[in-house]
Formats: sequence, structure tokens, C-alpha cells
Amino acid sequence: MSRRRALDALAAIAMGAALALCLAPFLAVVASTVARGAEAIARVGLPSFLTSRPPAPGEGWGGIGPALAGTVVLTTLTTLIGLPVALATAILAVEFPRSIVARAVRALTKAMMEVPTVLVSMVVYTLVVVPMGTASALAGAIALAMVMTPYAATYIEMHLESVPPKYREAGFAIGMSRAGVALRVCAGIASRGIAVGIAMGIARALGETAPLLFTAGGSHYAYPTSILQPVDSLTLLIYDFATSPYPNLVQVAWGAALVLVATYLAMFAAIRVLVKEVRV
Amino acid sequence: MGVARLVASFMGASAALLIATLVICSYAAPSTTVVLQGAGATFPEPQLLLWIRMFMETHPTVVISYRGVGSGAGQSMFFAHTIDFCGSDPPLTHEQWAKHRGEVMQIPYLLGAVVVIYNVPGLHGRLNLSGRVLALIYSGKILYWDDPRIQKLNPGAKLPHRRIVVVYRADASGTQYIFTLFLHKAAPDVWPWSLVSKAPKYPVMGSGRAVGGEGNPGVAQIVTSTPYSIGFVEWGYALEKHLRVAAIENACGRFVLPSVESIEAAAREAVKHLPKDPRDDFSTDLQLIVYSRSCSAYPIASWTHLVLWTRYPEPKARALASFLTWIAIDGYRHLVPGYAPMPLEGRELLLKAVRILEGESHG
Amino acid sequence: MARDRLFFLSLLPLASLTVAAFLAIAALFVYESLPAFLHEGVELIAGTRWSPSTSPSEAFYGLLPAIVGTAVTSCLALAIAVPLSLGAALFVNEYLPHRLRGAVSTLIDAAAGMPTVVYGLWGLYVLAPLMQSVVAEPLHRYLGFVPLFSCRPVSGYSLLTAGVLLAIMITPYTFAAIYEAYRSLPTSVREAAYSIGATRAQVCSILLPAIRPAILSAALLGLGRAASETVAVTMVVGNAPTLTSCLLSPGVTITSLIATQFGEASLYPYMTSALYAAGLVLLAIGLGLSTYGLVALSRWRRWVASYV
Repeated sequence: MSRRRALDALAAIAMGAALALCLAPFLAVVASTVARGAEAIARVGLPSFLTSRPPAPGEGWGGIGPALAGTVVLTTLTTLIGLPVALATAILAVEFPRSIVARAVRALTKAMMEVPTVLVSMVVYTLVVVPMGTASALAGAIALAMVMTPYAATYIEMHLESVPPKYREAGFAIGMSRAGVALRVCAGIASRGIAVGIAMGIARALGETAPLLFTAGGSHYAYPTSILQPVDSLTLLIYDFATSPYPNLVQVAWGAALVLVATYLAMFAAIRVLVKEVRV
Repeated sequence: MGVARLVASFMGASAALLIATLVICSYAAPSTTVVLQGAGATFPEPQLLLWIRMFMETHPTVVISYRGVGSGAGQSMFFAHTIDFCGSDPPLTHEQWAKHRGEVMQIPYLLGAVVVIYNVPGLHGRLNLSGRVLALIYSGKILYWDDPRIQKLNPGAKLPHRRIVVVYRADASGTQYIFTLFLHKAAPDVWPWSLVSKAPKYPVMGSGRAVGGEGNPGVAQIVTSTPYSIGFVEWGYALEKHLRVAAIENACGRFVLPSVESIEAAAREAVKHLPKDPRDDFSTDLQLIVYSRSCSAYPIASWTHLVLWTRYPEPKARALASFLTWIAIDGYRHLVPGYAPMPLEGRELLLKAVRILEGESHG
Repeated sequence: MARDRLFFLSLLPLASLTVAAFLAIAALFVYESLPAFLHEGVELIAGTRWSPSTSPSEAFYGLLPAIVGTAVTSCLALAIAVPLSLGAALFVNEYLPHRLRGAVSTLIDAAAGMPTVVYGLWGLYVLAPLMQSVVAEPLHRYLGFVPLFSCRPVSGYSLLTAGVLLAIMITPYTFAAIYEAYRSLPTSVREAAYSIGATRAQVCSILLPAIRPAILSAALLGLGRAASETVAVTMVVGNAPTLTSCLLSPGVTITSLIATQFGEASLYPYMTSALYAAGLVLLAIGLGLSTYGLVALSRWRRWVASYV
């Protein structure tokens, strides 16, 4: 009996340790980012950090203004491109599940989710950047939309499907068309779920780096003024500055990471609250 | 909430935010803004970024960007007209130049150096090396630190009987081209022309005593953490990381450490033989500065180029001209450690380019 | 009905964009990688030399080091992530009080969506130096006779560090998959086990075989994710395009090869094409793994459904 109990305790300790090891790195990442990022931000103050240009390599301090503006431009543009596509894809897949087109859409949407994001960047580079003659916010947003859309579509689809069939039948019974049922009844009932799906897509677009590697290509020092010109992003700035030999740029990278993590966690928390309400 | 309203609010909010950001940014950078986009070599990037930042402070209507994407990528972007100017470590090849003859300008404008770094515990004082000895080390023919050929250059130094760990760059880079060109010019019998390349196959690679590092950080990292190793990086990188640097024998037989003065000396000699017009062929200009004949020159010095068109639509031409003028007059007083200014004689090329830009765009 | 048909047609242009995007990707990768295949043949995949040159006859691009690097780092990540997330999932389900369960799984969900570049930044400045002094050097000192640890660890940037960082990044995904699977097991089985006086550890070991297919599919999805991760890996793997059997030396993966070389590639004949070929290999691996993973998962879901 005691041996059994000892074994049980041992197993519990091992599994508990596994859980601790799962959680520890994430907490360590957040802690490092907060500690080192706060230092960078404190040097110039938060408002200035968010709006001013980064320092020149090797001397002085500065902020992440152009990159932050670039991230806003990229994320909003991605939403404008990706949202209608994601919604149409999801509705088509749910409303016409038996048509061949819908089946293809559904299968390939899943397949798109598995395409490594750096490959998306190569494709957009070849098909958009080269013909346009320049990297641009538009190209970056197209690449991001290609990553975000399948993700958002799948999530929206899941929520549309979870609408109980009785609502749908009721809609048909009062003589509504399929479009009316789909858009007004089902989508209406699942609207919070849809909002969550969209928000998750946006959160995802916010934090992606690889799709932008060959597409957005902006200077870390120039503010975006047009969607047809190159823009910077927080993620690209972190990636570049982190690997530079200049300590002041590395510091700015940590500051940018803190801004990115804080934004992400805030969005994540908001989504969680929404999801809770959806479940209720 | 209806789905239409939901979607409309997401789309509307996005559009509003997008437009607001663009408007605020254009307001922050006044509407008469000229945007000049540059890209290319990573070597001059820190210096260019400093210059651009300073220039933009006094010229608020001009926005200049520069991205270090590599000389090759910069050139292809330049010739595809996706950027306005290109930074390139090597000059255009003769064929490229001939193809765009008269339309394209090249200006060697910023000096740097490749330095030899080493990690020999117990060795104090400075280490002298020659091109021949380095060529022998990178060919795998000198195996030990106390080899008589190294000892001869360092009389009195206590060199250990330890095997040399040879560190090379694993990626293609202009740094390697400069380094191997130097080896070839200093010891052509040991280092044939076929081994001068951006991505050479060092004969020592197969021996098991050689390690490849990616980029300057990779090489520096390996050398600092591996006792009895030797490697080469850009000078600026060595300064930034406080690495120990060897003195190199120049064409005159003197051992010289890299410094702003010794690098400028190399350029001062080389500038005499440069073309006087930026529209001319510069394809062999690295041969002039590497292993320069000047007696006070550091032998592995090099310069990097700006590649421009002779003609731009206004207001780009004027903005570019004022940036080049600013570099020639003010810029060279503000240098990031690791770079040396073009000697006065060489700055003529910048001013000549300015005249071409102004003349061509008015005419 | 005509109205329905109109609705269908109105959705079609937007919805088919995803299809178009996927087909464009697949077609482009095949088309763009052809020149390299024709130039080098099997050597493109099996070759180990990566030597860019402006002269086509000297240029040679062997992808084997990158393919092996991807395989090694992803498998290493999996070998760490799966046992950890399995243990953690069991612990959360069987031992943790109800109130904490939600908090823990929320935290792990948050970890899953964290921008990968932040993991990269942390890997570069915190994990890599730590791995160097705490793991790599002792491994080399005491287990240097094992070929995997035979090379001197010159820096923290290595295949090993990349594997560990990837493990950290995919653990939230494998955890979520296993945790969900475990929770969806019929409660009758668990209750039956407890009713015959099994301890909690024994209950775990009784329930394990039931979720074996879910573990497999979690592993496959995790593997796909690890293989396709780009920026974080590029930041810590060291990017040395050489074939090595030693985990402590810097290496290269398919994604880091593309991320570091694609910008320069247009200067060299065949290099862009070779990188597209590398991408094609990755695409094939990713799609194969995920398809197999999804098939395994849906088979298991049906099995659970039939059980209830």
C-alpha cells in the first residue's frame, strides 16, 4: 500500500514538474521582456518611445514611431483585405457544404493554414513585389492576409456550424432565402463568435514576422505615408535590431518587444472575455 | 448585433485607423516631402543611418531610407528601379557598367577595413602577421602558432605550440572578397587568383581545424570563445566588441594596425589612380586600395560605393544632390567608429556627381 | 432555387481567393524550383555543399544540410515537447483543482499565440547563453565521446538551442491538443477506474492508451509547426550551411536558409530557384504531416464518438 502511494506521489511530482516546465519559459519570456523593455522605454519616456525615430546605430536613444505606425497600417490593411475573404469563405463552406467548390475551399483553407509563413513571403515577393517594382505596405498586407484569412475563416466556420439547426429551420419556415438565413439568422446568432474569430486573426497578423521578410521591407526610420510604399513593422524592427551588434539598438528591440507583447496580451485578454460571453 | 453591422464596424474602424495613421505620419513629415529610397550593402548601413538621421534633422522635407539587404540585392533592386540609390561594396562589373554607360554613376565614398582577430591565451603585446603567413594559415600550411614563419615576424613573443583553429566566414560576403584579394596581392604564389571570391573555398576547410561562422557576429563569437583561433571581421565590429586585432605587414614592409589614419593613407594613395568622373568604369578600383603601396597604409583597407543614376525627376535630383553635398561637407565630421572618411581628393567625386545631377536635371 | 444560386455565386469570388492563393503557391513553387532541379538533379536534395557563385558552372546549392537541420531541430523539439505536455496535461486534469485548471490552460493558450519574434529575441539573449554554459559545455565535457556532443560548443547558437527553443514554442500546441483529447474522454471510463480503487497515477496510466492516437496527431501537428517556424529559429540556429552530426555546432534549417539567403539570391544564377526548391520540400513535409495528423485525429474522434 505504501509503495503504491509512493509511486503515486512520484508520478504526481513528475507530472507537476512537467507542467512547471511548460509554463516556466513563457513566464520567463514575459519577465525578461518586461524587465529589459521597460529600461529602454524609461530612457526616453513612453510617449516619446512610441512616436520618435530609433537612434542611429551605436549612439543615443530613441523610439519605435515608424515601426509602430507601420504595424498599424499593415494590420488594418490586412483586416480590410482578409476580413471579407474570411467571412465569404466561412459562409460558403457552411451554407453549401455539398458543392464541390465549397469542399475544395474548405480543404484548401485547411491546407493554407499549414503553409509555412516564410513561403507566403516568397510567393508575394515574386507575384506582387517584383511586378510592382517595390516592397510596400500593400504587399505586406497581402502576405499577412494570406496567413490570417484561413485562420479566421476556420474559426468563423466553427461558430457558424455551432448554431442550432432549429433557428435555421425557423428562418426557412417564415420564407427567408438562404442568404437571409445565413446572414441575418445564423451570422447574427454567432456574431460574437465571428467577432472573436476576426479578433484572433488580427492578433495573429500583429505578431507575424516571416510573411513580411521580403514584402514590407521598410526603413526603420521613415514614417509610412502611403500604402504603396515600403513600411516597417514592430516585428521586423525587433528581428533586425536584435541581431545588430549595437547595444542601443538591441535595447530598442527589447522596448519594441514589450510594446508588442503588451498589445498582444491585451488583445488576448479581450478575446477571452468575449469567448466567455459566447459560451454563456 | 447583426453580422453586417459587426463587419462594417471592424472594416470601418480599420479603414479609419489606417487613414488616420497615414495622415498623421504625412503631417509629421510635411507634405512637400521627397522620399529617397536606398538599399544595398550592410557594411555602410550604420554610417549611412547616422548621416541620414542627421541630414533629415536639418532638411525636414526630405525623407531618406536605407536598408542593408546586401550589395547584390541592392544592385538588382536598383536596376529594377525599385529604389533610388544603391550602396554596393564592390563596384559594378565592367559588363554592368558598359550596359548602363553614361546613365549610371559610382562613387567610392566611405572607407573601412577588414581586421584579423585572434585568441591566443598568454600572448600579450601585439601580434604581427603578414599576408604570406595568413595565406599559409588559410591554406592549411602553417599548423602551429609557434611556426618559425610566425615567430620571425614576432621576435621575442612567447608563441605557444598549439594548433591554430582557423575561422572563416561561412556566408558569401564582400568582407571575404577584400580579405582574399589581399592574400592574393600579398602572396600570389600561395594564394592564386582563383581563390579570390566572395565565397572562397579555403584550402584549410577540409582539414578539420577550420570552423565557419555566419557573418561578423558568427566569426567574432567563435574566435572569442575558442582558444588559439584566428579569424577576420570588419573593423567596426572588432571595435564594438573590443576584440584583439593583429598588425598586418603592408606593401612597404611595415606592420600597421588599423586606424582612421592608416586607412585614409591607403585611400590617399589609391585615389590618385581613380577615374575622375563618376560616370567612368570603376570595376577594378578595389585593386587600388587593397594592399596599397603607401608606406603608412593599413593593407586590408577598402571602400564602399554609392551607385546612382545620372538623371532623376525633380524634386528627387535636388534632394539627392543636397544629401551628397551634405556628406562631402558635413558628413565626414560625424563618423561611426570603424569607418574612415574619404580623403579630400576623393571627395571631388561626390561634388562632381552633384554637378551632374544638377546639370542633367536642368538640361 | 435561383436566389440561392445567386447567393452562392456572390460568395464565390471572395471565397475562391483562398483556393487561388493556395494553387498559386503550389504552382509557383513547382515552376520556380524547376531550373535548379534541371541544373543539379538529385544533387540538389542530396548535395551538402552550399557555394554561391556568379558563374553558373561553379554555383552549387546542396539542400541536404538544411533538410537535415530541419529534421534534427524539429524532432528534438518534439522529443522534449510531447512528454512534457503529456505530463502537464495529465497533471492539470487529475491533480489540479478546478479553479486553477482554467487559469493554467489560459496561460498556455496565451503562450501559443505570442509573437514568435519575441521568442527569438529571448532565445538570442537569454536562452542561448544559458544553454551554452549550463547544457552544451557540460554535455561536451562529460559525454563528448557521443558523436552528437563531440564538437566543441563554440557559442550558444546551435542546433541544440534551436531545438530547445522550438520545443518551448510548440509545447503550448501539443499541450492543448492532448489536453482537449484527454478531457473529451468519456467520464464513465475514469469513474470506473476510480471505483475499483485505482490511484490517480494509475488512472492516468489506464487512460493513456485511449488517447494514444491523439498524442500521435498532436505530435504530427507540432512537428509541422516546428519545421515551418522561421524567425525565432533563424535567430538562434547559428546559420552555418554545413552538414554536421553534432548538435552543439551551429547549423541551418530550410526556413533559416530561406530567411537569410533569399534577399541576396537574385544576384546568383540558380540560387533563387534552389531556395524555391527548399521551400517546396518544406511545403511537402508540412502538408504531408498535417494531413496525416488531421486524418489520425478525425479517426480518433469517430472512435471516441462510437464509444459514448
